Order: sequence, then C-alpha cells, then structure tokens
Amino acid sequence: MILRLQTNAGTLTNFEVLDFLRSRGASTDSTRVIANVAPSEFQVYDYLVQSAARNQTRESIDEFLTSWVKFDPAKAEKLNLINIKPSPAIEIDSIVENCEQRMGNEDEALVKMIIEMLPAPGKPEGTNEDPTEVVADQEAMEAVLPPSTKPRGTNEEETVETVGDQDSVQTLSFSTVTIYLYVV
Amino acid sequence: MFFLSLIKHTLRLPPHLLNLPLDQAIKGELETLFLDKVIANLGLCVSVYDIRNIDGGFIFPGDGASTFTVNFRLIMFRPFVGEVLSGEVEESDAKGLRLSLGFFKDITLPAHLLPNPSKFGEDGKWTWDFNGTELPIEKEDEIRFKVNSIRYPPIPVEQEKDAKPFAPMVITASIDFDGLGPISCVYANVTTNTSNEHLFSLEGESFGFFDGVTLSKACKC
Repeated sequence: MILRLQTNAGTLTNFEVLDFLRSRGASTDSTRVIANVAPSEFQVYDYLVQSAARNQTRESIDEFLTSWVKFDPAKAEKLNLINIKPSPAIEIDSIVENCEQRMGNEDEALVKMIIEMLPAPGKPEGTNEDPTEVVADQEAMEAVLPPSTKPRGTNEEETVETVGDQDSVQTLSFSTVTIYLYVV
Repeated sequence: MFFLSLIKHTLRLPPHLLNLPLDQAIKGELETLFLDKVIANLGLCVSVYDIRNIDGGFIFPGDGASTFTVNFRLIMFRPFVGEVLSGEVEESDAKGLRLSLGFFKDITLPAHLLPNPSKFGEDGKWTWDFNGTELPIEKEDEIRFKVNSIRYPPIPVEQEKDAKPFAPMVITASIDFDGLGPISCVYANVTTNTSNEHLFSLEGESFGFFDGVTLSKACKC
C-alpha cells in the first residue's frame, strides 16, 4: 500500500535534479553504462543537459534570487525564470505577470542581469548532494509564496490554487497499489 | 517541473536479496516498483531521492520474505499549470501537435490553442500566419509552450486493437501567448534596436539578425 505523507515536500529546479543525477554518476560520455543510473533516468538527464540548466551552479542561482527579491516575484515565476532563462524581454512577459506594471523600464536591465547570472561560464563543479542544504534551499523558496495574500492576474491564481492544493497533506490510502504502467 | 514527494510504503523484500545491505536492497526494490511509472495526481516518478526511515522487518507466517515500512522521497515530474517548458515536436496532424520532452512524450497541443491565424498545410506541417509572414512549425524545432492542464485519465478496461497505447498522464499545452512558440519565431518578433543587438551578441548564438523587421510587441504572438 502506498500512503502519501506529503504530496509536495519541496520544489526542485532543473539544476537541482541535474546535480542529483550527476552525483549518482550520470554523464554524457561512454562511462554511462557502468553508472548506477537507470535508462529512464538517463533520458531525464539527457533532456536536462541540453536545457538551460547545464551551465548553472548553486552560487549563480543564489545570486540570481537575491537580485530579484526587490521585484517580489512569486515562487512559480522564479522557478520558471531559472529553468527557462528567457533572453528577449518578450519571453519574460509570458513568465512574469503584469510585467510592465511591476518592472516598467527596468526590464532591459533585468534581462541583461539574467543573461549574466544564470549561465555561469565554464564547467560547473560537481557539488556533492547534501540533503540538508537542498532542504534549506527549498524552504527558502517555500516561504516566499503565501497562497492567498497576494493579488495576481488570472493565470497566477490558477497556479496558486494548484500549488495550494498540492501542499495540503493528503493521506489517501489505497487498498491496491495504484501505479499505472507508463508505456514509453 | 520537478517536485519531491514523501511516500510511505509497505515493501516486501524477496529473500534472494538478503545478501545485500538493507538500504541498497530496499532502494533497488523501490526503483523497480516506482521508476518511470505514473502515480495519479503525483506525476511521473523520475528517481528515488532518498530513504528517510525503514521500519519493521517482520516476516509474516507462511511467507519467506520480510516486510518493511519505508518512508522515502521520490522526485516526481509534474509541471504546474502556467509553467513554461521547452520541448520538440514529435507528431503533427490535423487535430494539433504532439510535443515531447525526451523522457515524456504525451504533451498534446490541440489546434485551438495554437496562435490564431494558423493553418494546416498538405505536407503535414502547421504554419502560423502572422501579418503576412509565414512561420512554419518544423519537426526539429524547439518549442516553448505553456502548460494548460494536466489530466490523469483512468485506466481503460478494454481497448480496441489499433488504439494508441494508453497514456496515464496527459499534459495539454498552449502556445497562444507572447514569447511562446518555436524559438526562431519568438526571436522574429522582437523589435530591433541597438539594445537587442547587444542581447544577441551576449547570448553568443548566431541568429540571423532580422534586419528591418519591426513587428511591434503589441501584436499578440
């Protein structure tokens, strides 16, 4: 029987998942057959490696988050920005609600800041996955979004509701294990 | 895109794994059980993140295997509504497109969520008609899309012979917003001025610099 103790025990950015897989031994070269990583995990690794997360480091993400604090972004917006790393100002518009109202003329400067901070030049160090450190990261992100207090556009409300639902502790117990076989 | 979920599960450890250290054996069993499978309302399980607690080890009468109650965390793939993701086109037909993320291929882009004046050509490709400029959606294009909804259809009891394989988790995507769509199309809609030129060079990628294209941002992409 599966019992879900916590449906959402923390959000992970793409970089964190990539780091976790790397610490398990995943890589793109030919030593992958020896690594302790399943083929399905390798598919996820391949996707992440060619996404924006490949050049990020923990420090660059921290820097990025502290510099964005003054615009008061929601958790979902920060996650989207870190994962997607949008470059022209127009892409930011689809991620950040009410872009012009909140940022006005500063969005050019912001875009430059994103480009500088997010892809760190050179190879990222293989940081060992320290569970307590990652939990602290997630708690910092969790603390930002109290679900109902901030007024947002309709898109964001949907997001908030979905995240809010998932946050509540669900203790559904199943009499039979409900796993669907995912046919790739 | 990825969440951690804390799960408690009663796991039966087969006797042939008794020679392995306990946490390794349990991790192996959990991986066989959960990896690459979809759990309803939780998402697709990508990986076992860690094991929090192992309890039990009882052997029930008549059984050769020991049973443990394990608390562990799984990395689940479950994008939230409104998240922007980027993936490739896998299939394209009259009803819409199907996108894939490599490890997850059930992302549908129905025709009504494509930007408005789009049409389906005879060669099987969708083309977006923007103010006279035709922007086709090719097969290897990387497409930015926004998640519209996620459904977990119930397992069908019977299926016809040639039906498509059952997809336990289906994401509906939309590219009807600013800044979404094939990456080449997104860059075609940026007004050109010197600061943008600066942006292109900072990125270090070589886009053809769209000379003289001044499509304003006000037009919905």
